[in-house]
Amino acid sequence: MSRRFLTAEDVLRESSSEILVDEATVVTPQAFEAAQANGIRIRTQSGDWTEPAPDRGPDASRAAAILPHLPEPDENPSLATGAIVTAVGVNRAGVLAELTAAIAAQGANVHDVSQKVIEGYFHMILTVELDGPASFDDFKTTLECLGNPNDFAVRVMNERVFRFMHRV
Amino acid sequence: MSFSDREILETVRMVELETLDIRTTTLGISLLDCADPHLESSCEKVYAKVVHHAKNLVETAESISADYGIPIVNKRIAVTPIAWVAAASGADDLTPFARAMDAAAREVGVDFIGGFTAYVDKGFTNSDHALMESIPSALAETERVCASIALASTRVGINMEAVRMFAEKVKQAAELTKDQGGLACAKLVCFSNAVQDNPFVAGAHIGVGEPETVLNVGVSGPGVVRSALARLDPDADLLGVAETIKRTAFKITRMGELVGREAARRLGTTFGIVDVSLAPTPAIGDSVADILELIGVERTGGHGTTVALALLTDAVKKGGAMASSSVGGLSGAFIPVSEDEGMIRAVREGALSLDKLEAMTAVCSVGLDMVAVPGDTSVATLVGIIADEMAIGMINNKTTAVRIIPVPGKGPGDTVEWGGLLGTAIVQKPTPFGCERLMRRGGRIPAPLQGYRN
Repeated sequence: MSRRFLTAEDVLRESSSEILVDEATVVTPQAFEAAQANGIRIRTQSGDWTEPAPDRGPDASRAAAILPHLPEPDENPSLATGAIVTAVGVNRAGVLAELTAAIAAQGANVHDVSQKVIEGYFHMILTVELDGPASFDDFKTTLECLGNPNDFAVRVMNERVFRFMHRV
Repeated sequence: MSFSDREILETVRMVELETLDIRTTTLGISLLDCADPHLESSCEKVYAKVVHHAKNLVETAESISADYGIPIVNKRIAVTPIAWVAAASGADDLTPFARAMDAAAREVGVDFIGGFTAYVDKGFTNSDHALMESIPSALAETERVCASIALASTRVGINMEAVRMFAEKVKQAAELTKDQGGLACAKLVCFSNAVQDNPFVAGAHIGVGEPETVLNVGVSGPGVVRSALARLDPDADLLGVAETIKRTAFKITRMGELVGREAARRLGTTFGIVDVSLAPTPAIGDSVADILELIGVERTGGHGTTVALALLTDAVKKGGAMASSSVGGLSGAFIPVSEDEGMIRAVREGALSLDKLEAMTAVCSVGLDMVAVPGDTSVATLVGIIADEMAIGMINNKTTAVRIIPVPGKGPGDTVEWGGLLGTAIVQKPTPFGCERLMRRGGRIPAPLQGYRN
């Protein structure tokens, strides 16, 4: 078992000018300050100490191995990374073209479109596959920025959300 | 695979119009290795370990929110009961631990950190006693620390000495924060059958048997259930009501399962539980009381409220249990009075008394929650209210809690504004008949027969 922490008290008790800690040791901010104030170097076998990645405990590695095997709803989705785009607004010419142009500009591919106009308002649902370079976040931001309060509103959600909610 | 328009619009409506959200992603961190004979060193370790593990928590939750388009409202931390961590230090005043927790919570940007906790259902260790003594100053001096005390359980009974001490600390905490309407008491809760993986504050902590770190998720969605019931035929029978709630709870919980898996993967930790609780907020429409009224009681608190709540809690649990293999925590329906706009209306109209509230706690998932009483309520009366609630939990093998605020300078019917998630309370009137002698007797109430189940 490695040394878990190095505290200011540990540093102040130290008489030499160097403290050797393990790679996984967490040095408290106070210990770091005390060491600097007293000119003590904190180092590991391989050099100056830097903050290690958090050790999440013995269960975490097991969990990492299990997670991919938890059954997903609908094991073989037809889309790699899918997004569902919905848009609602006052009907006018060219809305579908604007949206699909923006989707194409992101390198994404429209799989399914459904549109209805009810009492002057359109409802549009597009199922999109993101296989281009754009990240989901960028894609979402770009499309959602297309809408404005006086025209239409766009919402982008990950297809996995719908799979979890509507499929078992 | 494709989804029908109806399915897609249902999900979008839940998020857009019905305030479906992930109420909290709570990272549990064991602090057992932070014990140290030297008080300052121990606090240093607490701060360092919490920051070390949680520094990516907010960023991770926000990235999941962005990637999936589901709002994640709160990011929180739960830690090992501080009474266990502090024992080695031998300190009498544990406020420094609360300060360290508060500083760490601020550093990583979470709004609450739970775990200023002790288990005293059978008796006190020196450290448990020191923790309870430190509660008023710890809560008054810090902003984000939440404290919880386990006072009773079905296995061991009720520690009435601890109940009295808890009631005294509630009064002192209220007095220390009298300028803010006794706000410290909103961060202080006691339990019968405390839940060790509860992700919701004020009772969040990580108990024995929990891993080094664990990610727990609390889902909510009273607004979604309310809308589903509003769309149901008003003449549908109660089996239909239960079925509607169950199906809705299933869908809500699936979101928790998805976010829990994803958050645990991204943080590199274990996925603990999804807590399926209908947790109301002061927002219009996000109310459990509204659901009870849609089921068919004229006003929450009227006759019929307890059975409606029983139906609701049970249907939520059933839907949740189907949706995730890791349902845990408190799971059911919360009835925090000040945080629920419909409950406040019921109190204002005189429909919901403290007594009816107590009856409702026998079938909800937690207990007397965010209840304001007059500032001059005696310790004996508080002991009576708390012990009654502990007894309901002890006998029924369920978790019950009390989060009560004796608001300094306020009397029955007065309004208190705490703002934010904590909402607005109307001070409720306890019965004028006391229980001095019961309190003076003290001691321990033995475990009930149902505790001997071996």
